[in-house]
Amino acid sequence: MDDHPEARLVDEARTGGREAFAELVRLHERRVFGVALRMAGNPADADDLAQEVFLTAWRSIGSFRSGSSFYTWLYRITVNTSLTFLKRRNREKNRAPFDENLAVGGPATGLPPGPEGRSALNELASRIGEAVASLPAPFRATFALVVDQGLSHADAARALGCSENTVSWRMHKARKLLQARLKPWLEEVRS
Amino acid sequence: MRCATARKRLSDALDGALPPGPQGRLEAHLKRCCACRSYRDDVGRIQAETRLADGRPRGAWDDFEKRLEAKLASAAAGRVAVDPPFAVRRRWAWAAAAAMVLAGLTGWYLLQRPGTAMSGTWLADDDVLDPLMEAAEASPETASRVDREVRALIDDMTPAPDAEAAVLPAADPLFWESLSDEDLRAIVSELEDETGRGGPQ
Repeated sequence: MDDHPEARLVDEARTGGREAFAELVRLHERRVFGVALRMAGNPADADDLAQEVFLTAWRSIGSFRSGSSFYTWLYRITVNTSLTFLKRRNREKNRAPFDENLAVGGPATGLPPGPEGRSALNELASRIGEAVASLPAPFRATFALVVDQGLSHADAARALGCSENTVSWRMHKARKLLQARLKPWLEEVRS
Repeated sequence: MRCATARKRLSDALDGALPPGPQGRLEAHLKRCCACRSYRDDVGRIQAETRLADGRPRGAWDDFEKRLEAKLASAAAGRVAVDPPFAVRRRWAWAAAAAMVLAGLTGWYLLQRPGTAMSGTWLADDDVLDPLMEAAEASPETASRVDREVRALIDDMTPAPDAEAAVLPAADPLFWESLSDEDLRAIVSELEDETGRGGPQ
């Protein structure tokens, strides 16, 4: 049994093995799609982004250094492709700048019926998605890698091309912004 | 520990990036700071409730893989279609470079080849030659010396004659045997005309 099946697949893909690359796609497509979805904000664009990421990976897999982490390399392509995509669409410019003092409506006065606690939690979960989507792109990318994908600060730093301190600071800032923005729903859940 | 520092470390702790020492000091701060405990509960709740709504059915991934496979195939086909013209261009460039190098080497060889007229030493101008000729006319001894020098110079500049070419046809015994009596008579007649002496009767 091969101890490092992914490393073997990467080696085969580097020498033009399409089947090995297809297996790598199957292994990582959900993670890549997850980061792309967090960055793009909708499944259709995330799907296009994920396709572009794997095409880029296929074209440049010859430059991948064996011994490096393949998924970190793939995440880096994903983040860079997503940021380029966002710039191209100029979506960030049109998006309202994040303001932690900005009221985002607050909890709806007429919550759907059902167990109170569960409804409030569901509402909070959906609001979290909106709040994360409104974070500036570099913060959102860091949040996607660390919270959604469970990467360590060191791996996230490699994927983002920055220092671990930057990742740590971005995560702290992102949490602070989210907590301020979601305060009304958090208080409702607490009560 | 200040609250701002505690909240920064709380974020690191949630990501599992806080070493044990600072972790202990953070916990000590949280025990006595109500505001930071509340903040910890809030960010912990956000962390717990953060879910990425993927929810794609298996069929969507099959479709994703098929579309990607088609794109990879067309990318590979495109690569094949694009490469040859560049390869042909590269081959022409190499051929042109090789031809230029070959022409340069040939020219260099022709100029440097020993025994060619181009590489001989020539008297530069008439200012040198004229006084020499005047001296030669004035003195037969000098004329003879100049003549020897000029002949030696010409000999030096003349390529060594081919050994085979140096063998006259008359030196070859087979040459005479191949001649008919009529040819021999014609040769004798020419010699008598040139030298005024008759041959053997």
